[in-house]
Amino acid sequence: MLLHLLNRSPQSIAVYRDLSEAFGASDQLLLIEDACYAALPAAGDLLEAFGGRVSVLEEDLVSRGLTGRVSPAIAVVDMKGFLALTETHERCVSWF
Amino acid sequence: MTSVHASDIEPQDLMVVLRHPPHGSHWLREGIDVALVAAAFGQRVGLLFQGDGVYALLKGQQAGALGQKGTHPQLAMLEMYDIESLWVSAAALTERGLSVDDLILPVKPLTAEAVAELMQIQPHTLIF
Amino acid sequence: MLNYALLVHGAPYTHQAALSALRFADTVVTGGHRLATVFFYHDGVHNASALMSPPQDEVHLAEGWKRLHQDYGTQLLVCIAAGLRRGLLNADEARRHGLPLHNVEAPFELTGIGQLVDAMLNNDRLITFAP
Repeated sequence: MLLHLLNRSPQSIAVYRDLSEAFGASDQLLLIEDACYAALPAAGDLLEAFGGRVSVLEEDLVSRGLTGRVSPAIAVVDMKGFLALTETHERCVSWF
Repeated sequence: MTSVHASDIEPQDLMVVLRHPPHGSHWLREGIDVALVAAAFGQRVGLLFQGDGVYALLKGQQAGALGQKGTHPQLAMLEMYDIESLWVSAAALTERGLSVDDLILPVKPLTAEAVAELMQIQPHTLIF
Repeated sequence: MLNYALLVHGAPYTHQAALSALRFADTVVTGGHRLATVFFYHDGVHNASALMSPPQDEVHLAEGWKRLHQDYGTQLLVCIAAGLRRGLLNADEARRHGLPLHNVEAPFELTGIGQLVDAMLNNDRLITFAP
């Protein structure tokens, strides 16, 4: 069970493709930094491969003016939530 | 091209995933450096070439115009470091119009399913 | 309590990676875990520059890293190969290369990639922040 960190906007579509190739059935994806833009409903298709196991970092949403625009299917977590995800997932890989 | 099945894959101590091509950035070089050092320290290391990382293995690479060494000399040393588990994303090859015959080293092409399985079974993975 | 290590590839003030790493580092230590090591590689080596001089109203990243060392004993390791190439040298390396200046000082330590491998093997978690 891996935690995947992604920090690129949906514009960097190749990273999303590589990540989806590597994503396991019980893995979790956390969107941080510019990947927050993938949390918008318009980017829904891009996240299909991740089976609803997607979270997004709240403070990065806030700074980008995205609160209130996030797809309801995506869990919003604060830094403590980010930490908690790393606690429960023994391995974490970063995609960039 | 026969792809490797998930059940054929043996876990390493460290898997390094290489996603960047040679020359354009230092990522590939730095990822290979970590793989070589880990191997020198006695770790069993496997390499997965994914996305543009498959270009790291393309035949016919040369030094850059200002003498930049590139990464092909290091890759030629992998065997000496006992790094023999080399996997590539079959999809990455196909999308780029490449086959294993275009590559400088023997690699095992993996289906997407096998790539995901590979990620699950390694105790440590670093992506470059 | 878990032992964490961070791998930081991002240069300060260029990409959010170094900032996210520092934010996460602070969360680790206030969350009751141990942050054993931060390893700076790729452009992350620039976080070690003693000459970093951001405007007064911006977060000072190098000071943030140093504070983690002061308050929690976190090792701040800088890949020597990546550092030398990019012009991050301590006094010893500057002398060795016949250079009149250096810009890396304790608690930042220039070290080999072996220490990254160690940090990966000897800690419970290794989290990477890249540009």
